[in-house]
Amino acid sequence: MDHSKQIQEIASRLFAENKIDYFVGYRQNSFDDTQVPFLITDPAEIPKLVFTERSVFNLSNYLKPDHTKRKRVGLVVKGCDSRALNLMLTESQVKRENVYIIGICCEGVLNEKGEKAQNCVECVMPDPVVYDEILGTASGKREYIVNADIKELAQKALTERADYFENIFENCIRCNACRHSCPLCYCAKCCIDQETSTLYHGANTSSAGMHALMTWSLHLAGRCVDCRNCEKACPSHLPLHLLHKQNEMVIYENFQQHLAGMEKDDRGAFYKYSLSDPDDFIL
Amino acid sequence: MNLIFETDKAGLQKFYEEIIAKFETYAPVEKFEKFDYKRVSKLEECNPDSPIPSTMSVKPLFFPKTAKVMKFQEDSSGTTVSETDEDPLAGKRVILGVKHCDARGLQVLDEVYKWDYIDTDYKKRRENTIILSTRCDKAGTQCFCTSLDYDVENSDAHDVRIVNGLDGKIYIQSVTEKGENFLKENSSQQSVVGSQQSVEEIKKHYKSFESSFRLKMNYKEVNEKLQKLFDSPEFDPVSSNCISCNTCAFICPTCHCFKISDEKIKDTGVRYKSYDSCNNGYFTLMAGGHNPRPAKYRRWRQRAMHKFVYYKERFGVNLCVGCGHCAISCPVNISIFDVVNQVAK
Amino acid sequence: MEQLLVPAICKIEKIIDETPDVRTYRLKINDPAKMESFSWMPGQFVEFSLLGHGECTFCISSSATRKGYFDCSIKRAGIVTADIHSQLEEGMDVGIRGPYGNWFPIEDIKGKNLLFVGGGIGLAPLRSLIQYCIDNRNDYKDFTILYGARTSADMCYKEEIEEWKKNPTVKVILTIDKPEETWKENVGVVPKVLEEVVKPAIENTKVITCGPPIMIKYTLVSLDKLGFAPKDVITTLEMKMQCGLGKCGRCNIGSTYVCKDGPVFTYEQLKVLPDEF
Repeated sequence: MDHSKQIQEIASRLFAENKIDYFVGYRQNSFDDTQVPFLITDPAEIPKLVFTERSVFNLSNYLKPDHTKRKRVGLVVKGCDSRALNLMLTESQVKRENVYIIGICCEGVLNEKGEKAQNCVECVMPDPVVYDEILGTASGKREYIVNADIKELAQKALTERADYFENIFENCIRCNACRHSCPLCYCAKCCIDQETSTLYHGANTSSAGMHALMTWSLHLAGRCVDCRNCEKACPSHLPLHLLHKQNEMVIYENFQQHLAGMEKDDRGAFYKYSLSDPDDFIL
Repeated sequence: MNLIFETDKAGLQKFYEEIIAKFETYAPVEKFEKFDYKRVSKLEECNPDSPIPSTMSVKPLFFPKTAKVMKFQEDSSGTTVSETDEDPLAGKRVILGVKHCDARGLQVLDEVYKWDYIDTDYKKRRENTIILSTRCDKAGTQCFCTSLDYDVENSDAHDVRIVNGLDGKIYIQSVTEKGENFLKENSSQQSVVGSQQSVEEIKKHYKSFESSFRLKMNYKEVNEKLQKLFDSPEFDPVSSNCISCNTCAFICPTCHCFKISDEKIKDTGVRYKSYDSCNNGYFTLMAGGHNPRPAKYRRWRQRAMHKFVYYKERFGVNLCVGCGHCAISCPVNISIFDVVNQVAK
Repeated sequence: MEQLLVPAICKIEKIIDETPDVRTYRLKINDPAKMESFSWMPGQFVEFSLLGHGECTFCISSSATRKGYFDCSIKRAGIVTADIHSQLEEGMDVGIRGPYGNWFPIEDIKGKNLLFVGGGIGLAPLRSLIQYCIDNRNDYKDFTILYGARTSADMCYKEEIEEWKKNPTVKVILTIDKPEETWKENVGVVPKVLEEVVKPAIENTKVITCGPPIMIKYTLVSLDKLGFAPKDVITTLEMKMQCGLGKCGRCNIGSTYVCKDGPVFTYEQLKVLPDEF
């Protein structure tokens, strides 16, 4: 899955036609074969752009105004990234005319160890759902699968589950890298950061940390697209996907097999209300 | 002040076991393939030879992630404030497997904590701690400690150093007076007192370690250039993919910014002091909305300049110790080494 | 360190409404021994905490020459200050840490003419120095106070200004930004009035100024134009602070810590600092 050449060509064309102010892609790291997000405003940097199965980071994150200042952006997205972008468009965070989307039919990216990433194994939609230009061959929607770790977790008793998560959160340093790397966490001021909040405050106590992560995962319930940017960003390697995947499973089972960001203008499971909505999963 | 013992793997294990049995001991403990310094009661729980990409530096054992400042209570007669029952440090403690860069970080932090108002809790923790450092055999991909303003080979930031000699022997050497006294009292029975030969072996080991660095820079030149580069436009491109999280600062062995926050439920509350980071957009946001560092490049400039210029100017030591923790943990692999070299190009 | 961060509990003796969004809180430390030993110099600041809500940095706006109490004037600007305004009443308790920072160079300005230029809430730190100088009147020569606010309602310390006006050794010049029907004093922004009305003598004069950033910016330009040397212009800075002890790393501009090396700086010192505010 090497689309570097095509992406470089498209970027050159977009800059030449003055269609974009920023191009967001990937660049090779100097010391190993991993890649980092690469924001360019200068066409001279285009030859550094690459795209391979090492292009892991979800670039939709850079559409937040802090990074590209609401200007016109050319962007490379994989299947999951495009779902996140779809939600950002639906939630009016990005103007469609301000972003030129290069969609990649993804064959799965690699994790740190060089194996196919777990979320790619479980991927339901490897093809971009929103794009201006598409690269690669579309392979279509796949069946939704729930991995064994989530099933196992769901079967645990509530107290057991609480202990399980407490053990995980113990290592959280509250750096908020998970939130900052999530394209769908775009609030100008997160509720977790409110100075006067008595629940979350800044302190690194286990109760405050747990509250913060729980609230965060609930704000993403029905919106998380399983790109696992958060998990890759976490300096403590916390298995954060457990929170999101469990929510996703509950929502899939209870809300007409809903998956976030798959369709245009789909505002997510919790934005639609119907009397027939189930409620027996609520504690 | 240079007590050296020779031993082997089994001897070292025994030495560690004795320490763990005798003292309150902290060592790198693995969880989710990352290491953090934790209290240990058995040697099997920890790995004093932990590889370089650890999550946290040893800093939280001296400057906790979160410390209680005080408790307060309101009632009809007014407000009362009481100190928390947390004792900063009761007895002596030992930390195993500290990397020399981490230990150097503490030495650097000493400067700010003893400046003007003395941080007594920090001081107490420092005085009551014996640091056993295991010298790295090989540099990590992001390490550049040997390029900075301190002598790594003869560093006295730790009390005792343990060297895995190239000859297969393990050397335990005291570096400070504190370390010497500690070794006198706690040296393992099996160890043999080392000779001039051991000093040579330790030197040899250092040479091999020194030659394994990927990153090298001319510190003096970078420092001098940066002093004049506050307005450099280069800060913008080097920070363009920063996502403004706090990871680099929280895991850094020398970042010491903190914030104060209150937790109040009904009439009682606790005031906490916890880590904060200059890469965070709210860091300098003032009441009324004025923010001197609203853009990412301004915040990165502050970070890079504080590490390589301001602290040196104020306290005479470089704040960055070249451990590479930040680059390893950064979600988008920004390395402070690259940033300062790019700007001072 | 943690002990250093524990505040002393103070009682609010009196709350004075200065303007629609500024209130002065007259405070007294509950522990009489602590109050007795609590001493400060004009220009120093304290960390004021509304327990359960957070800490804010405020300068002390009264002088230590007036014993038994100290004032903090607080403008409603952010979250904590809004809480302070809405929740605090006379007789309630707040926490105070301090005093911190440096102070106005009262030795340097002895025997000089003093020109105070204040705008809005910026009069608060000046008021501490003005009170101090009035209480030691013989140490100083001519005394001019130029104070501007957006409207007459936005003027702080109205009663005290009347007192200063009655003092024959003090010259008070007031100005507001836009004309008002009942207003008989000057109209126009501070730098303009400074150049056109005050026309200060440069010889042997020290200027002490504080106000909103935009006013400071243009006042410094005017003072330059009038011929004042940067070393004779003294101002006090505001930065976000948390500890006040030179530890929390928030307030630095270059290698200068505003909380320790400031908040009082001369224009000469400010000029060499990196442009970060």
